[in-house]
Amino acid sequence: MNTLANGQRYEEAQLERALDREPFAAPATGSLVLHGVLFGGLLYYGILAGLFHHNLWGNPGSGGAIQVTLVSNAIPLPSEQQNQNVLMTETPSKAPAPPEPKAKQEVDETAIPISGKEVKPQKQNTPKTQPHQPQPKQDNRAQFGEQSGSVLPRATMSQNTASNGPVSITNGDFGSRFGWYVEVIKRKVSQNWNRYEVDSRTAKGATAEIYFRVNRQGNPSNFKVNTASGSPTLDQSCLRATQRVDTFGALPRDSNDQWLDVTYDCTY
Amino acid sequence: MKMYFKISLVFASLLVSLAALQLSAQDWVHTGTNLGNDRIRIAAADFKPVGGDPQTPALKATFDTTLYNDLANAGIFDLVSKSLSPQSTPGSPQEINLGQWSDAPASAAMVAFGSFSSVSGRLVVYGWLDDAHNTANPQVLGKQYNEVATDDMARTVAHRFADEIILRLGGGINGIAETKIYFVSSRTGSKEIWAMDYDGQNQHAITHLGSISLSPRISPDNTRLAFASLGREGWSIRMFSLELNRLVAFPAGVAGGSNLSPAWSADGSKIAFSSSRTGDPEIWAADAGGGNLRRLTTFRGPDVSPTWNPRTNAQLAWVSGRTGLPQIYTMDLDGGNIQRITDGGYAVSPSWSPNGQLLAFSWNRKYGPGDPGGVDIHVIDIASKNYLQLTHESGSNDFPSWAPDGRHLVFERAIGGHTEIWTMLADGTQQHQLTHTGNNFMPNWSLK
Repeated sequence: MNTLANGQRYEEAQLERALDREPFAAPATGSLVLHGVLFGGLLYYGILAGLFHHNLWGNPGSGGAIQVTLVSNAIPLPSEQQNQNVLMTETPSKAPAPPEPKAKQEVDETAIPISGKEVKPQKQNTPKTQPHQPQPKQDNRAQFGEQSGSVLPRATMSQNTASNGPVSITNGDFGSRFGWYVEVIKRKVSQNWNRYEVDSRTAKGATAEIYFRVNRQGNPSNFKVNTASGSPTLDQSCLRATQRVDTFGALPRDSNDQWLDVTYDCTY
Repeated sequence: MKMYFKISLVFASLLVSLAALQLSAQDWVHTGTNLGNDRIRIAAADFKPVGGDPQTPALKATFDTTLYNDLANAGIFDLVSKSLSPQSTPGSPQEINLGQWSDAPASAAMVAFGSFSSVSGRLVVYGWLDDAHNTANPQVLGKQYNEVATDDMARTVAHRFADEIILRLGGGINGIAETKIYFVSSRTGSKEIWAMDYDGQNQHAITHLGSISLSPRISPDNTRLAFASLGREGWSIRMFSLELNRLVAFPAGVAGGSNLSPAWSADGSKIAFSSSRTGDPEIWAADAGGGNLRRLTTFRGPDVSPTWNPRTNAQLAWVSGRTGLPQIYTMDLDGGNIQRITDGGYAVSPSWSPNGQLLAFSWNRKYGPGDPGGVDIHVIDIASKNYLQLTHESGSNDFPSWAPDGRHLVFERAIGGHTEIWTMLADGTQQHQLTHTGNNFMPNWSLK
């Protein structure tokens, strides 16, 4: 009974609340005032800003177009260079911390040695001499990507034993005594070298080394390729260049040499 | 990559010593090349006058000028101009300060210097050539001359000293300062054979036939001159002895038809020429004495202007009209191994270079109506058929002839009705006009 009475009272309260009119005046007034303020503000801005700023789009008169002024090319745009190193990562891992120095085992000088225990002899820190390591011959050295050493001037070098050599007076110093004759050899072979005989696919910088012997009268002979360049056409063209020379002129009269051995580089 | 001989980069010169136990046995040098050839920078100092002979200044001026010009014309030197040279005139190796010459502005690598005196009608000249960069062993050359004191001999001594320098620094090839050029000149009214020094000096007539003489060719030993001449028998090959100073017999060149354009073999034992004695101009050859005549070509169409390969002495180049316009061909002496060298146009007047590798000739590559081309001197590499045009838009150029050093060419150039003799380097540079009087044609450079 009691429960029924309570439920009836609840329904009545709900019905009464639904039929009751909500308060209207206050929110409507607030809304009107707010819109009025917004409208007034816009109107005020339109009138006030119109005095100073006119829209010029499409109007005749100066300044209507966009003006572009070129600046220098050196606009500091962000670089889009890509690192060619394929092994490089953009998120490098942290370098490991350097290892801490090994803690030295402290030796208690005052401790009494245990009888019967062998004490390790302390290592003598004697400096060792570095054993001789022959430089490996770099036969497979890359011809490319390096500085073009072949185009750098090389001075005539000689091993002059004339002044104090106990045995030889002239041996090995031909280039320093008769540099002009070496120039003659260089010039004449060079004049007779036809570069068009070399296959154009030959690597730039490839070098063929030719050997020949020049006798006392200046005539070359015993031609051979001393060091091949890897391009048979370059080797042959260099060989032919030396073979085309009939004579370099007699060896200098002051030279006691009976012949002169020459190695000649043709660098493509 | 092309074979351009640019002057610039860099050569290696590296000396490696040999086994040191054999005294004065041999030596070893290492050198190489990359691009181009640089010329030797050389200075020719004015020689130091010695003694007070009144003839000395004039003779010395001739000597200095001739030596300077010879070195400038050699084609292998970059000569230091007089204005850049030091003022000193060192007369001996003890007097020269090489630093003065090797430093800027002279920057010379080599210096020619010496002393000049005229004593009792004799010229005494001491000449040296020093390597300016090698102060320890500077001397490259030392020469002494003692000749009659005349202007001609002063020039001759200068020529000889220049040739010695060129021989040493040019790699064993003799200079051309003492060579002669033979040519045809009409300056006296008739076309006669004339001769001059290589630099255009000392021009004088050889023949006085009062007729028309063409195509002079000097023998390799400089003793006889063969040429074509118009006489009662028509065009015949005639021979002039420079030793006897008169015409000598050459019977093979007289018989019927037109006999033209003689050419000496390299050893001077034979002469080839064109003859139309059988109707068609063909190449014939005979001994230098005129005997042992035989025919070398049997082609339809004219075959003219033979030239021997001076290197092998076993090949001929000539002009053949078998395909219409004249073209250059080569063949062995037995008539085999015929190769056509030019591929069109109008090619005439071949001259074989002393090393046997090149042919110089006159070529109008665009011959024909409506397409007029220039007549220019060209040089072609026989092996590769690559050619180089040496003259450009400067008259009509014909009759090239090689100098014995293989570095110079002489040729005739016709401009505006005047034909004169010119020389140039074999790359077309340093063109000089040698004759200025009358009309001069068909030059031929002596072989020594």
